[in-house]
This record gives sequence, structure tokens and C-alpha cells, in this order.
Amino acid sequence: MSIFHADHLPALLAGLGIALIGAPLSVFVVLKRLAFIGQGVSHAAFGGVGVALVLGFAGSSVTDSVMQSIIILSFSIGAALVIAALGRSNRGRIDTAIGIVLSASMALGFILFNIAESRHDHDDHGHAHGAHADEHHVIEEILFGNILDANWNMVWATLVAGALILTALWWFRHKLVFWSFDEPVCAAYGVREYRTGNLLLILLALAVVMSMQVVGVILAAAILVLPGAAALHLSSRLRVVMIWSLAIALGGTVIGFVIGDASHWPIGPSIVLVQSCAYLGALGSNKAMGALRSS
Amino acid sequence: MNEPDQNQLPAVDIRDVAFRYPPSGVGEQGIEVLSDITMRVQPNTRLGILGPNGGGKSTLIKLILGILEPNAGEISVFGHRPTQARRKGLIGYLPQRIGADLDWPLSVEQVIAMPLRAKLKPWQKLSDEDQASIDRAIELLEVDQLRDRRIGALSGGQLQRTMIARAISTRPKLLVLDEPTLGVDIAGQQRFSSLIDTISDELGLTTIVVTHDMRALVAVADRVACLSRTLHFHDTPDGLTPAVLAQVFAHDIEPILGAVHIDAHAADDCDDPAHAHHHDCGHDHKGDAS
Repeated sequence: MSIFHADHLPALLAGLGIALIGAPLSVFVVLKRLAFIGQGVSHAAFGGVGVALVLGFAGSSVTDSVMQSIIILSFSIGAALVIAALGRSNRGRIDTAIGIVLSASMALGFILFNIAESRHDHDDHGHAHGAHADEHHVIEEILFGNILDANWNMVWATLVAGALILTALWWFRHKLVFWSFDEPVCAAYGVREYRTGNLLLILLALAVVMSMQVVGVILAAAILVLPGAAALHLSSRLRVVMIWSLAIALGGTVIGFVIGDASHWPIGPSIVLVQSCAYLGALGSNKAMGALRSS
Repeated sequence: MNEPDQNQLPAVDIRDVAFRYPPSGVGEQGIEVLSDITMRVQPNTRLGILGPNGGGKSTLIKLILGILEPNAGEISVFGHRPTQARRKGLIGYLPQRIGADLDWPLSVEQVIAMPLRAKLKPWQKLSDEDQASIDRAIELLEVDQLRDRRIGALSGGQLQRTMIARAISTRPKLLVLDEPTLGVDIAGQQRFSSLIDTISDELGLTTIVVTHDMRALVAVADRVACLSRTLHFHDTPDGLTPAVLAQVFAHDIEPILGAVHIDAHAADDCDDPAHAHHHDCGHDHKGDAS
């Protein structure tokens, strides 16, 4: 199979890295009902892309890519924290806050993209063509992604971000579970609610930014929902749910890769479709078990 | 610095406390919820805080828990600032509404262990002492049979007992219960009050129960504080007179008197007891409830 071709190894590893990040986070995302925040942050990242382009970082070199990632990441973390703060000041209406930040960031992203584009129109023609191509490529990659474009730099970035996210989740696991389970009361037991909530949002923003560079904005949010949503139908023990989530995320990535490659479908959407099928399977088996128990 | 001797200190010492919520919108003024509160709760007391909705009961609880800071005055819990007392695990708390997300795949025992686990370093496991506290709480609240049950599969009463077990798992010296018998029938209230008696006696707890229900209060408390923006009364339940209740529950006096049959003649400061059914007796109370 060609997926085991050396050229595809970075793509497969980046995909597995994203799966490793998405698996535990998705359990929190689903239980804490943060799925829409994931969408909000991934679309808000578009504003960060606009800022990076206006500042001239179109990802054409390694330094360029790193700077672009840092800008997008900072913008996304900022967006997540603004969503949380607006939600708190708006009597907990987080959906309104997401709607505002998402649309404002998308609008900013498009305007900045246009500014960057028109600036190049006025530049030397020889450079303009190349710069245009860069910008369009960046926008397309950000929206839809192409996992097969993943290079070794992306693999390392994903692994470092993954290690960071997994370490933070393990380090703060008791506080995060307490906060997620019983936010109104955790402060009375010394778990600082805003700080713990912001920590989870920052990890989520980091995961979204890493995922969207591999599979694009539209699919990133799915990867941060599906494994956890499926796993929660398969067990009532948190530890087992986490293991199922990991199995579905990693298994879905490998199977999506194989199917996509064999049928010449795009790999990212194939992964998401496989994980969606896993979700339907888990839901079905849960319902079937329930029906068996009640009969 | 020496640790304060907790046997000599009041469990809760509230001095000249006032609290005002900040304005929530443009053109709005902050709302003064509490003013001029001074109260001392002695160890091993079961204090009932009685007052109408919006009278500041839950706010006072949040101040005692250190979740809110007073705008004026001071509060100490066993000689510590509330945040310190909370950090030391001296306070157990049962909120008015159980706002926990019951979809979480957690067992009853995992939920009860949460406050102690949250204090652990990432690499630590529960100590034998902590595990013993959890087992004791499970035993006292009679949830042993439910240890492994999923938290979302409990009945309302089982869930409340689990949450009280969680509140006492940290070996607190003060237990704060906010409207614990809201919507519970009379038989349930009696079972609840004997449960609180048992826990308080076994663990040597000081207990504060907040309620707007006279029946619940009389069943549980050996001291009563009446709160409606300011403190109207702080004494034993026997001293609760219709005049005091008239001050606190300005509009609800009739149904409450009907429910608990408080003897109007016990209104000791009142020259004419007959007046006490309908009017206050001219006591000099601050912050009349309206």
C-alpha cells in the first residue's frame, strides 16, 4: 500500500499526532459542551491567518511558517479567552459570545487577506504572482487542509504540541475533571474556576490550531468532538472512555488513510467519515445494549 | 506563627460585614445585599439561617466560603480567613442546586473523592488517611451500596447524600448546607435532620443550614439567625417571635405562622401579644425588609 511509502510517512505521523491530541480533549469538549467553542476558535483562527498575511508571513519558508503558526496560535488563544470572558460578562450566554468572536474574526481575516492581496498588486509584478499564489494556497490549506502536504516540520510541531497538551491534561487532570463536572462548586474546594476553565480553552485553542494545519479548519473541530462523543456511548467509566476515545481517534486515522488512499479520496475527510461511522456504530451498540437490558 | 487553637475560637466570626454586588449593566447601580452583619457562631452549633428569597442568605454563605469578598468588615472561620480555611479543607459545602453535570462517566466514590484528589500533586495517590475519610463519609451517608454506581443513575435523595458525603470527605470542621430541603416533603425533612444530627455528632461538626422554610429550620437548628439584608435576630429557636418573623418575612407572615404554630405570647418584648400577629412591635430593627 502506498500509505506506507516514505513520502506519506510524515502525513500519517501528523495525523496520528492530531488523533493523540483529539482523543482525550474530545471527551472534555463533549461533556463540557465546548464543541461550538471548538468551531468558534477554528474559524476565529482565520483572523490570525489574515494578520500573518498582512505582516508578510505566507509560510514560504520554515521561519515564515513558524511565525505564521505563532501568530495564528496567539490569535486563537486570544479568541478563546475573549469568548470565555464575554460569555461570563453576558450572564453565561456563551453562544452569543462565540457568534460575535467567530464572525468578527472571519470578517477581519477576509479584510486583512484583501489588504495583503491588494498590497501585492501594487508591488513589482514578478513578486506579485508568487505572493498571490502563496496567499491563496494558505487560505485553501487553512480551510480544507491537505494532510498529504504534511512535512517533517509539521510532524515535529504536532508532536511537541501533543506532548504539551497531554502533559498539561495529565498534570491538571483532577482539577480539570472537578471543574468540568461541577463548575459551580469547585471554587468552594479550592479549584479556581476561571483559571481552570481558561486552561482547558488554551489547550483547546492549541489543539485546534495544530489540527487545522493538518486537516483544515472545517475538519479540525470534528476531530475534537467525534472520538469522545463515540467513546461516551461505549462505557460509563472515565478511564475506559479515554481508552476508547484514543482507539477510535488512532484507528479512525489509520483506516481513513487506507480508505482514502485506496479510493483516491482526500485523506482528511476520509478520516472524519470513518470517525463519524465509529460514532454511529457506538450509538447503535449503546441503543442495542439498552434495548437488550430492558427486554 | 502559631496556629490558632481551634477549640477556643468561634467557628465563624462575622464582624460588621457589608456586601454590594457590582452594577451589572450601564446605568445600573450595584445592589446592596447585606449590611451591618455581626454574628458569632460557636463550635458544635447547628445554626439555621432563615430569611426570604433575595434576603442575602446565599451571599452570606459565599462570603463565609470566601467565594466573595465583603466590601466592609471581616469574616474568620476557626481563626482563618475564609479562603485559607477553605484551602485547609475546614469547610464542607452543599450548594442550593446540584449543578454538577451528571452525564460524566464517574462513579459515586470518584465524585466523593474529588475534593481530596484535587489537592494532590499530579504524581501522588490518595493517602491512607484520605481514603479512610472517604470510606467514613460513604459509611455515614449510607451510600456504601452505591460506591460503584454511575453518578447519573442515582435518585434525588441518593445524589444529595453523595454530595453531602463529598462535602465531609475533606474532614471539615464546618459544614455549610444551602437550602438542603428545598422541595423535600415533611418526612424527608425529618430524615434529613436526623442525618445531619448524626453527622454533626459523629464528626464534631459545626453546621450552618440556610433555608427559607421554617419547618426545616426548626427540625435542624439549635440556633437561628434571621436575615433580610441585615441581621434581625440571632438566638435559640424558642426566641423566634411572630414580631421577629414579621420583620423578616414582611409579606409571608400568615402562612408561616400557620405552618409552625409559633406562640404569639412568647413575643417577650411586646406589650400586647395580640399585636404580634399582624404588626411589628416597634423594635428598633435595622434594615426593615420590604
